[in-house]
Amino acid sequence: MNLANMTDYHHFPIYSVMVLFLGAFIIAACGSKPSKDPKNPAGFRAWIALCATALSLFFLGSLVKPVMLEGEIISYWMGSRAIAGGYAIGIAMEVDALSLFFALLIATAVFVSAIYSIRYMVHDECVPQYYVLYCMLAGGVLGLVLSGDIFNMFIMVEILTFAAVALTSFRTKVYGALEAAFKYLVVGCMGSTAILTGVIMLYAQYHTLNLAQLANLIPGTMNNATKLAFAFLYIGFSTKAFIVPFHPLAADAHGAAPASISVLISGVLTKSGIYGIIRLTYFLFQTMNLGSMQFMLVFIGSISMFVCVTMALAQHDFKRLLAYHSISQIGYVLAAVGLSTSLGISAGLYHAMNHTLFKGLLFLAAGAVLHETGTTDLGKLGGLSKKMPHTTVLFLIGAFSISGVPPFNGFASKWMIYQATYQKAVESNNIGFLLVTVIALVTSTLTLASFVKVSQSVFFGQMPKEYENVKEVPFGMRLAMGILACLCIVTGLFPKTVTGVLTEPAARAVANVGEYITAMGFKSNLPAPNVTFAQVGVWEPINWLLILCIALLALTIVAVAGKYDRVSERTEDDTVDTKYQLFYGGEKNVYSQVGGGDLFWGFKHNWRHYFDFMHNLHSGIVNDYALWAVVALALAIVYMMIVL
Amino acid sequence: MIQFNYVCAFFLIVLGFYTIVTKYNLVKTVIGMSIMDYGVNLLIISIGYTPGGTAPIFTKGELTQASYFVDPIPQALTLTSIVIGACVTAMSMSLVMRLHESYGTLDTREIRRLRG
Repeated sequence: MNLANMTDYHHFPIYSVMVLFLGAFIIAACGSKPSKDPKNPAGFRAWIALCATALSLFFLGSLVKPVMLEGEIISYWMGSRAIAGGYAIGIAMEVDALSLFFALLIATAVFVSAIYSIRYMVHDECVPQYYVLYCMLAGGVLGLVLSGDIFNMFIMVEILTFAAVALTSFRTKVYGALEAAFKYLVVGCMGSTAILTGVIMLYAQYHTLNLAQLANLIPGTMNNATKLAFAFLYIGFSTKAFIVPFHPLAADAHGAAPASISVLISGVLTKSGIYGIIRLTYFLFQTMNLGSMQFMLVFIGSISMFVCVTMALAQHDFKRLLAYHSISQIGYVLAAVGLSTSLGISAGLYHAMNHTLFKGLLFLAAGAVLHETGTTDLGKLGGLSKKMPHTTVLFLIGAFSISGVPPFNGFASKWMIYQATYQKAVESNNIGFLLVTVIALVTSTLTLASFVKVSQSVFFGQMPKEYENVKEVPFGMRLAMGILACLCIVTGLFPKTVTGVLTEPAARAVANVGEYITAMGFKSNLPAPNVTFAQVGVWEPINWLLILCIALLALTIVAVAGKYDRVSERTEDDTVDTKYQLFYGGEKNVYSQVGGGDLFWGFKHNWRHYFDFMHNLHSGIVNDYALWAVVALALAIVYMMIVL
Repeated sequence: MIQFNYVCAFFLIVLGFYTIVTKYNLVKTVIGMSIMDYGVNLLIISIGYTPGGTAPIFTKGELTQASYFVDPIPQALTLTSIVIGACVTAMSMSLVMRLHESYGTLDTREIRRLRG
């Protein structure tokens, strides 16, 4: 094999997965002796991990031109064992625009989080092992989205689940870390078992494991066994995406895991679940033209959006709150993808990308706060903007993005989602989709409300005495956050370019299943569809930026002109009686910056029955969560049997 | 009677689900996960079975059109699945040990610091 052959870009998908696993192996082989440098306890092993992730990103980045822009679908047979007698006998990788889109997201998040890890993981023991698991997790997710073989997808799901569980409990001393890991392992294993059952039932029916061949064979030949397999696979990937009813696991895992891992769990693992659902519904079974399937995905997406944002409002732990918001945003993605229109898919993928960027940024900011103060309890924190100005600015960029404030990226993608749902409602004459638009808007408002609460309780307001000596986080951590913040702004300011280069090719790939099948060497008679991304309205982010500046200026003038003496010192009562805390209820605190003590007191009071009900429902007992999984599986089976 | 295998396999999977949902002891939860795995393994191996088939071991030249053997792919898949099952058990048992150390109990109803 000569060099020119080896640098052929058709090999790059396998290289990008291989470097990560190879990195994991080399780090593990280098032993676990900590280095002498207190600023980097893993020593050169951290650099190996960083290089592996950077190389992986490079390999995938160089595929943008052929796959995204020129529309090539890379099919790669391991060991050149292609098709014999009309059946796929080898293991394949197939990279179309959809796979590459998710792979790029994953590689970016993994690379940025690796930069962050180096300075973030200084207080921990066994940091070299952290990087082994880190590379395995990254490799598992990349392998999942690049695979062209459904059994390989299962293997990768198992690898990533194990790595994620181990990393969740990596800080064993953290409150609830072991518990969170165990719950995740139990329900995650139920999900993996469901995936395996589905895979093997498909194999029994069609005698192949190749995705393209399955996509060629399944539609039109659905029987009860394939319907059952579909239900099993769907629930299996749902557990990986943490959509309702699996959201409590995400909240637990995020709260306990190191922040750099939270980025991967929210930005990468949930995406792999969404990817699995898209592959399953649009490609393998091609059921998305059915109204009932669209209803199911949009319904579950809307429920996830709303339930998780209300759960987030009631949280008082920084990372747990972010975790619920994360699933709420995944609800947006699922609802948009479930519309089964090109605009909807493009909007959903765009939001998925933005979610990875801004949620990663927020989790890293939460990690920075934890790194410096040692806590993520919103009740204990406050006034950190004076000590950590850079982190505050970066956090605010993330908070604006997730709340959908123009001109940040969250606005652009949410705007597209509103457009897509509205358009779907007009096209299908179904008032239900308008309701989804309304739910999406309300959820966005509640998200903003919740982030007002977070920024006030962590970065502004009164600073407790014990944080007098808090310093800004090291440069390496700020660099990682800065990269994500820049990406948040860039993708928000140039939505047309981003959708044109990344999400529209991916949405086109979703619509064009026939090409996916033929690229692998199978005969398909699916016609190439005519895809348009026309929108009802347009927006110009620059105009919104101007409006935002004017509004901020007005706000600053009002704030400067106002009185200063309204803020009281924190007294002893305030810390003892929760009634006096800023965001947790209480009517009497007249000296508080926010009238009535709690900004959302009225809202929470009126909804107290709902909040109480939800709080009791999320009991924290693993049996309950397992029961939800079983019930979801049973419902999915019944639903599929009826509608398909 | 290969159908009987399928029934048994799904019975085992459901039994595993039942154990996980109803038993409050962490060790029993882990046992439930193992039973679930065994059910899937039985399902896979039953799917590959053809009545009267031989083992799929042939060297070059022995294999003819008339050769009649069981499907080797599910056997390979089962091996993978068994290995993964063993990993699940090992990992969950180690977590159970650490949980017992720090919580002093194995009752799932008491291991619920994270909730709401």
